[in-house]
Amino acid sequence: MEPRSSTIGPSLDPNALDSFQFNEEIQQLMTVPQENASSFTALLELPAPQAMELLHHSPESNDSAAPAPAHSNSHTVTVDAHHTPYHFPVGANLTFPSNIALIERAARFSVFAENINNTTTDKSNHNNNNHSPETTESVPSNSSGNLGKVKNEPAESDSNKPNSPPPAENKRSVKRKEREKKVKVTTKKSKSGANESSEDAEKLPYVHVRARRGQATDSHSLAERARREKINARMKLLQELVPGCNKISGTALVLDEIINHVQSLQRQVEFLSMRLAAVNPRIDVNLDSTLAVEVSTLYISSFHPIQQVAFPWVVDPLMDSNLSNMVMPLMWPGGSSQSKQTTISTAMAFGCTSSACLGQEKKKATTLLLQKTHF
Amino acid sequence: MNPKTYHHISSNPSSVKSRFTRGFLRAFKKIKRQQRPYLYGRVKIAADKSLALAVGSRRAWSRALLWKIHYKAWRQRSRFNNKKKLLKENKKNKKNKKKKNDDEEVGFRHAKELRKLVPGGEAMDLCSLLDETAHYIKCLITQVQVMKSVDQIYSF
Repeated sequence: MEPRSSTIGPSLDPNALDSFQFNEEIQQLMTVPQENASSFTALLELPAPQAMELLHHSPESNDSAAPAPAHSNSHTVTVDAHHTPYHFPVGANLTFPSNIALIERAARFSVFAENINNTTTDKSNHNNNNHSPETTESVPSNSSGNLGKVKNEPAESDSNKPNSPPPAENKRSVKRKEREKKVKVTTKKSKSGANESSEDAEKLPYVHVRARRGQATDSHSLAERARREKINARMKLLQELVPGCNKISGTALVLDEIINHVQSLQRQVEFLSMRLAAVNPRIDVNLDSTLAVEVSTLYISSFHPIQQVAFPWVVDPLMDSNLSNMVMPLMWPGGSSQSKQTTISTAMAFGCTSSACLGQEKKKATTLLLQKTHF
Repeated sequence: MNPKTYHHISSNPSSVKSRFTRGFLRAFKKIKRQQRPYLYGRVKIAADKSLALAVGSRRAWSRALLWKIHYKAWRQRSRFNNKKKLLKENKKNKKNKKKKNDDEEVGFRHAKELRKLVPGGEAMDLCSLLDETAHYIKCLITQVQVMKSVDQIYSF
């Protein structure tokens, strides 16, 4: 017991200096009507039954905590005010809106998921195992640690310290952030009156959504809101993917665009497969073909935006016997002829690395093509 | 010349694009060697199949696409063999259509169309449908790119 307090004492000292400045601020938050005590027990991030136990123990610790720093003293006093544990949720209902300042400050900071997992399990184990005097020790120490951290929050935010805090503080800041998260959870849950908070808070993969003021807070609407946010996030991703969708606002139009895009892509695939069915594979293209394909795709992606392709003029090349005539009509609409020719030449250069003689191959290709195109 | 070309190998040799390229080229060459008719249909099927295989079973739409192709091929084969009983036994195992309550929020008409377009879209909730659509669009774009370049290389 004593060693614990002694270990915690020195660790608090570095914070003490900072905390003195913000004592007043904290006092203001403290001097909100005493019903706020329940919110502070929420800040302790303990599940309800353990909070009840602590409430029972608090009268014992009251005297011992009297000489402790002012903030923890008032904390235990206010905890003391609610002996019956069943006031806990009711008090919370009445007083949470007034703690918005504290909670919003908490809400500013990000949450470290992994550390939180460890610390929650550690704390719950700790509290479970040690019921009597150690819990009382832990309560004031935790509270002082908490509030020390709470003070550190404004310290960090106001002074904008870029320096990374020492590891001890880091750990405590992690715990504080964990607490903040629980605050969010408990605010939500207290408003809704549900009691599933402790389990949910520990399952960190879930996104904890704080219920906004004036909005419905039952579990159905919360789940719906979460779903809607997910859907909106995905719609944003789709908007980025589909070109020209950034300017459009409104899900209906965006969906229209997406549908058009998918349809055009599928039509392009069909069209290309038709062309490939008509084309004659060069005999010389073998291993280098994959490399050639990859290189030419790089060129293509840089030069040609994906566009819709008209069908009618595709049929003509099949009837042509001249190779050069085949090449020119096969240009994509809107693509510049110069860039096309450069890409074609580079593709050829790569594709024909293994070919011995170009001229003869071309003639062979045309004759074969003529034979094959007439089904 | 070969060492020069080799350092053009894509930065990620196991990306969807390279896997698709390899599979598609292999299938395409095989088709060209054969003398069968109806090349166009085959090429298209080969393209879709190799794309779905390149993606693997990680995505719902690729699984649905592979299943569709497999089922169609199987049905064709069984029809050819005049085994109508088999057809009736192994019906397409479509999942029961879930309630499409989500669609009302976003636009029922759009969601329905999107489900038709994306393979496997019938049996998905809106959230995962949008997910799959995004991935599907990405893969379609690579497919079009690769096929274009193959077309260019081969059309000489």
